Amino acid sequence: MNILAIDTSCDETAAAVTVGRKILSNVIYSQVLLHKKWGGVVPSLAKRAHEERIDDVIDQAIKSAHVAWKDIDAIAVTQGPGLAIALGVGIDKATELSHQYKKPLIGINHLEGHLYSAFAQNRNGNPKIEMKFPYLGMIISGGHTEFVLWKNHLEYELLGATLDDAAGEALDKAGKLLGLGYPAGAVIERLAEQAHNVDEYHFPRPMLRSGDLNFSFAGLKTSFYYFLKTISEEEKNKRLLYLASAFQEAVFDTICKKTEKAMEQTGVVNLVIGGGVTANKYLRKKMRKLTKKHKGTVHFPSIKILTGDNAAMIGIAAWKKAEKGYFLDSIDREPRMQISSLANSK
Amino acid sequence: MANNDELQRCIDILRHGGLIVAPSDTVYGLICDATNENAVKKLISVKNRPWGKPISVFTDGFNMIDTLVKTSDKEAILRTLLPGPFTIILPSKNKVCGLLESERNTLGIRLPIHKWINDLVHAYSKPLTATSANISGKSPHYEAQGFIDELSAEKKKLIDLVIDFGKLPRNKPSTIVDLSGETLQLLRQGDILPSAKHSYTSTSASETKKLGLYIAEKYSSLGIDKPVVFIVEGEMGAGKTVLAQGIGRYLGVANIISPTYVVYYEYKTHHESIRTFLHADLYNIENVDEFSHLGLEEYLKKGTVICIEWGNKAGPLFDSIKKTSHIVSIEILYKTETVRSITIKEIKE
Repeated sequence: MNILAIDTSCDETAAAVTVGRKILSNVIYSQVLLHKKWGGVVPSLAKRAHEERIDDVIDQAIKSAHVAWKDIDAIAVTQGPGLAIALGVGIDKATELSHQYKKPLIGINHLEGHLYSAFAQNRNGNPKIEMKFPYLGMIISGGHTEFVLWKNHLEYELLGATLDDAAGEALDKAGKLLGLGYPAGAVIERLAEQAHNVDEYHFPRPMLRSGDLNFSFAGLKTSFYYFLKTISEEEKNKRLLYLASAFQEAVFDTICKKTEKAMEQTGVVNLVIGGGVTANKYLRKKMRKLTKKHKGTVHFPSIKILTGDNAAMIGIAAWKKAEKGYFLDSIDREPRMQISSLANSK
Repeated sequence: MANNDELQRCIDILRHGGLIVAPSDTVYGLICDATNENAVKKLISVKNRPWGKPISVFTDGFNMIDTLVKTSDKEAILRTLLPGPFTIILPSKNKVCGLLESERNTLGIRLPIHKWINDLVHAYSKPLTATSANISGKSPHYEAQGFIDELSAEKKKLIDLVIDFGKLPRNKPSTIVDLSGETLQLLRQGDILPSAKHSYTSTSASETKKLGLYIAEKYSSLGIDKPVVFIVEGEMGAGKTVLAQGIGRYLGVANIISPTYVVYYEYKTHHESIRTFLHADLYNIENVDEFSHLGLEEYLKKGTVICIEWGNKAGPLFDSIKKTSHIVSIEILYKTETVRSITIKEIKE
């Protein structure tokens, strides 16, 4: 089944054509440059930009997949979570096309997409990683930090999530405090690497003793903010590499320790991790080390474009729903949609 | 909440000097007619309460309060705190049974945010006792059955009716604020600690959250005709999102996280008159021009509660918000690592 997928959950306008796990095309028009100036995502800008780009992005996705409209079997679109008015643009377009071309409509949770990213394949079906459920799934990005028990296709159980700030958001905020601009994750990674990832400050690791699998990065951010107030601007600039490194370490160390706890609680040692922060090579290294210790495996999105928001992952997540005929007549946007098996009911 | 039959039954019992175990905004309470001396005596004996210890009363509004106590120059602060989880102590006008008053001739006044109690006091149109349903010296109850189990068979007979709301949320008993002297004094600390007019002290994130819930309860009723906008200011890490989580909890929204990344999240609520909760964070907004692109004005509709963090950046938005909405300004000041001073003011034109 050929699926046309659309994602406008935040600041990327994305469309793709997929068949099963194979990506035939994956077009992303990023608004990051547009938003960079604003230091974040600005909702109505996002909406207007999505509206201006979406037709072109879809046309291009169809063209570069070398398919025609008659070859498309279903249209999948992100229902949530995300920015309400941005989601609306994608949903409206998908609904319109579904009526126009008489194609069934599939609603996808953006987080399902991030999980399926790790198993995406190119046109030739590579890489050939066999899916062996269950997995301990994680999404680590600017808007999300979640643990999901991925029992099988379409079967998810949310195990824990951030109670306040997401991991990527914490990194972005620390970066802003250090004067590194937006988004700051990649810059922090580079600075930390120059400091050989040492941790000379030992900022607090929140929620490690909470007993559950939830995260809270607001406290870490707060303590970093008040720490920076105690040192001079000169000191801050002199110690930039080490501050960035210690902060990143506090975030990643918390994620790793919680992951270890999740592995112990669920007995599942095979991980699937998606989301923008997985572009960080140091985090990947730490996770590989962790799973090795527990004799497990870890899968990340194979190419960089799949770590961030994209539509190919939405198409792949729609694959099993399309097979089972989980189609919808209409789709409501759900800005704070939670991942669960219920999301897959008709 | 209270249906008419139940209300009528309660009124009959109260009129005949009976005792009722009933839910309240804090813990389960033991209720009787505060002007009926025999009923009050019965209540004191059920509770094993030492004679001479005062007991506060539930009222249904400021008119009733005026008939019971001398408010004089305390009117303004009284109106800031009430309704809410507070017991306010003021000089008594001796209109209730004397056993409820203190030796200094003061009376504790309650005006809770609790529809069932409010409806009952209003229908009965006399003050009712507001004491926790427990044996003196023992802890209060969040489940009605817990109190009943504590009573001897003989005392059980003195209870005429139990209104069982199941398990109540674990709110502490009310904060007791003594306004009878020159300055405001706290006699017992509940969940919300006023420190001066419009000001509260929070000593933990959980208290900040409860304060959020309290102000949401207090101001959400305004949202029926116009949107209610909470503008929250405070440094990074002051607890703005924690406060927003408290507001959300009142509206039945449990999963509130930081909206910084997307600027705002829209939530469907579980509340009878407020349908939408919008939680915005303007942290990432830097230029004035951006406000025309924000689209927040589209949400300024009745039945909506909006909480805007970093509201001090909302400058240009402020005028359009002011024209259409009720505005409550909240300022969170960092005192120590855990303590915050929180100022709450309704902004009126």
